[in-house]
Amino acid sequence: MTTTETAPTYSGDIYTDAALLEPYEDYRALRELSPAVWLEKHGAYAVARYDEARAVLMDSDTFRSANGIALNEPANEAILGCTLASDGELHAHLRQVVAHRLTPRALRPMKDLVRERADELVAELVERKSFDAVADLARALPLSIVPDFIGWPQEGREHLLRWAGANFDSFGPMNERAQRAMPQCGEMAAFGAEVVRTGNVLPGSLGAGVLEARDKGEVTTEQTMMLMLDYLAPSLDTTISAVGSAIWLFSQHPDQWDLLREDPSLIPNAVNEIVRIESPIRAFGRLANVDTEIGGVPVPAGSRVLVIYASANRDERKFERPDEFDVTRRDAVHQLGFGLGDHGCAGQGLARMETESLLHALAQRVTRFHVGETERALNNLIRAFGTVQVTVDTED
Amino acid sequence: MKIEVDYKRCEGHGLCEDQAPDVFELDDEGDLIYQFEGQDVPAEHQTAAARGAAACPVAALRVVQ
Ligand code: HEM
Ligand code: SF4
Repeated sequence: MTTTETAPTYSGDIYTDAALLEPYEDYRALRELSPAVWLEKHGAYAVARYDEARAVLMDSDTFRSANGIALNEPANEAILGCTLASDGELHAHLRQVVAHRLTPRALRPMKDLVRERADELVAELVERKSFDAVADLARALPLSIVPDFIGWPQEGREHLLRWAGANFDSFGPMNERAQRAMPQCGEMAAFGAEVVRTGNVLPGSLGAGVLEARDKGEVTTEQTMMLMLDYLAPSLDTTISAVGSAIWLFSQHPDQWDLLREDPSLIPNAVNEIVRIESPIRAFGRLANVDTEIGGVPVPAGSRVLVIYASANRDERKFERPDEFDVTRRDAVHQLGFGLGDHGCAGQGLARMETESLLHALAQRVTRFHVGETERALNNLIRAFGTVQVTVDTED
Repeated sequence: MKIEVDYKRCEGHGLCEDQAPDVFELDDEGDLIYQFEGQDVPAEHQTAAARGAAACPVAALRVVQ
């Protein structure tokens, strides 16, 4: 392809508190400008349109994840060698060691458990009428499922959410939030290393499987530590974000909730639509391996590239009425909120199962959500609510 | 139109089946069965097949021609 333009420059900081709270106007401006826009403040090319975001994700030979995921060097160094931040054969190998435990088939035995937990939780909350949809619902289900599934020992679990949040903050530019996060990422890594050293994981869990792989010589001890972090850090906050956003969205769009209640077979598509319109992970980076182009805009070797899933998912070039929440949207499944291709989210089967189970349980009981106080949880990477106070109406 | 399936890459997410149940099917083991392996996709199934291929979250399905 011939390269015709050079990338325009965007001088705004898209990681200030204000920008993180209301990101969508910045994203729209980036999409308007060009397929690739130089983010002066962050030293990276923003890829904000759908087609180009998809193309970058699909071309993992050119756009590398090792040293590429975060917008700052210390964080990239800290995660080098985990599945998320590796390439090529190493990546395929690491992914294969664990990901087969997360495929829909492997998760089938989990389905009843997740459904049951979701039902119990929702029944109790609906009884109470008023609750915090983040603390009491969105956090409660993943916390009752995922740490056991990964096999994390009981001691240390009280830190999981703080560590996971810090991990995602550290992937942004080296702003104050990232600086504050770095020591906590260190704590998490040290804890992961200790778990591997002592073999203190629940029997039969995903973590136990990783240790077995080490004992069989399939992965090194160091890789084992990275794999533990791989499945710990991204498995909670992401799903929590999606569920919190879901309740808020349905409270604002009661007509959409009615549709779901009338036809629960819409629930899987609704999960795609939630992840499309309020993408839990805003963006991840890549490193251009060779001189290349993005949508005709030249991008030199060694450039940092930022794939903004949350913007691609609202690209008016791809989605009709992109800012409208529509659970019947036919192409919602094309959303990129779980990534795509080689690094496409390995845990999406579990995330979908958790979110769908909660929506099922709620759809059986709740007719309306009335939202009171809400508060955003600011994070460089994750878009989420910290609080969504809600009161529910039921049929009787 | 043909579809190339990378069976090694397929993780059985089943999103292709949701979009195009006449074209893609997961068997009881969760393995993907593609109805038109090695053939052209019949005209009446092409739209659905393309939608299914685009839905695969790990890009195991590729439309060729
Ligand atoms: C709504 C919930 C979730 C969202 C929105 C989400 C989003 C993502 C995204 C965007 C990526 C792509 C990374 C890239 O392009 O470099 C990813 C990768 C990944 N996710 Fe998720 N995720 C979710 C839930 C989970 C859960 C529950 C787990 C684990 C149980 C998980 C584990 C992973 C892993 C291990 C990777 C790295 C895969 C690789 O590099 O091959 N995720 N996720
Ligand atoms: S959507 Fe992709 S991963 Fe899922 S069953 Fe179809 S081909 Fe396999």
